[in-house]
Amino acid sequence: MNKKNHNPFSREIVILENEKSECDAIVARLHDNVIHRLHRTGAVIGISGGIDSSVTLALSVLALGAENVLGIMLPEKDSSGDSARFAQQLADKFNVRAITENITGALQGFGCYQRRDEAVKNIFPEYDPARYKMKIGVKNSGLYTNLPPLFSLVIIDDKGVEQSKRLPAPEFRQIEAASNFKQRCRMSMLYYHAERLHYAVIGTPNKHEVEQGFFVKYGDGGADIMPIGHLYKTQVYQLARYLGIPQEIIDRTPTTDTYSAEQTQQEFFYQLPFAQMDLLWYAYENKYDPSEVAPVMEMTVEQVKSVFVNFERKFKTTEYLRMAPIRE
Amino acid sequence: MKEILENTAQIKEKIDSYIRKNTLSNISNLNDKTLLFREGIFDSMAFVLLIDYIEETFGIKASDEDLIEENFESIEAITRFITHKYEVSTVR
Repeated sequence: MNKKNHNPFSREIVILENEKSECDAIVARLHDNVIHRLHRTGAVIGISGGIDSSVTLALSVLALGAENVLGIMLPEKDSSGDSARFAQQLADKFNVRAITENITGALQGFGCYQRRDEAVKNIFPEYDPARYKMKIGVKNSGLYTNLPPLFSLVIIDDKGVEQSKRLPAPEFRQIEAASNFKQRCRMSMLYYHAERLHYAVIGTPNKHEVEQGFFVKYGDGGADIMPIGHLYKTQVYQLARYLGIPQEIIDRTPTTDTYSAEQTQQEFFYQLPFAQMDLLWYAYENKYDPSEVAPVMEMTVEQVKSVFVNFERKFKTTEYLRMAPIRE
Repeated sequence: MKEILENTAQIKEKIDSYIRKNTLSNISNLNDKTLLFREGIFDSMAFVLLIDYIEETFGIKASDEDLIEENFESIEAITRFITHKYEVSTVR
């Protein structure tokens, strides 16, 4: 592995030394991009009550003024009720106009729920969305092995009894494709309001979501600018505290808020706590030698190597998501 | 379990053929010991499809405990895994 010229690896390596200067730089770029490059006069942001959209909204307010920012809550029937409450709290705190666009009807029109439930019933014939909640989980704990993760379908009945089965490819694809209507509907609604107001759509993905491909192409990946797309989660939390994001939002566990059953992002996708993920991704992308990383992370060299192999595979296999349309 | 058990060479040939047909990566150097996932020959979805193929073609069931690197890292490992499953089934 070619080692770049860099500082010794440590647990503090991703921590921003100066939140204010990072914040000022993002705000200046955001203002310049919206006004001078996109020639738009404000920002539309989908707010979920999560930390990423909260920080993005706060930065947009600093860049463009609260009066030029519109926060949009986009719940559907599987959304957590907490999301709306936290999103409203955020909008109130930053004095931003916030509206709610419930996309359940649009999703029904697309057949989102019906197509998803049809695939679930192929695996669990007894599944009834009125009685059961469902989610997708990772079957094998993948990061310390070189095998890619396998996904399982989990259903939970109204008494809390959980069943889990490995997801065959056709059903996995159908559930995923149907669920992606949610992010794509939200994107459509954000652009409706952006065009109506001559605003830009400000995307909320952080560095991990962008680089590991944890977003839906032309869904939450559909935006004009992604101002926190270069920030590790640790840094997003630093900015959240600096910007005065409500503590309840900072303390929330990041969830996918996509399936009817509660599911954390770690459980569904990352397989590691964010603090560890940040450090290991930093080490991977800056080509640190696993033998330098392992003792700091209290892992074996082999475990670090396996994590790097998984990162490499995730980055390569999700390149399709980050690609613009091929024009030649 | 299929009534006619296939021998190791036949199993290996079928797995090799399946991988060559279904990978989207460059496989000019593919051999029995190539580390399929470490080398990026197969991704997550291809792994799921491979398991589906093995279960359907060879009439065996891969349990959660079977889904480890030792059983799937190469054509050789997969062949050994399927053969072992056959043997266990025959003993029973």
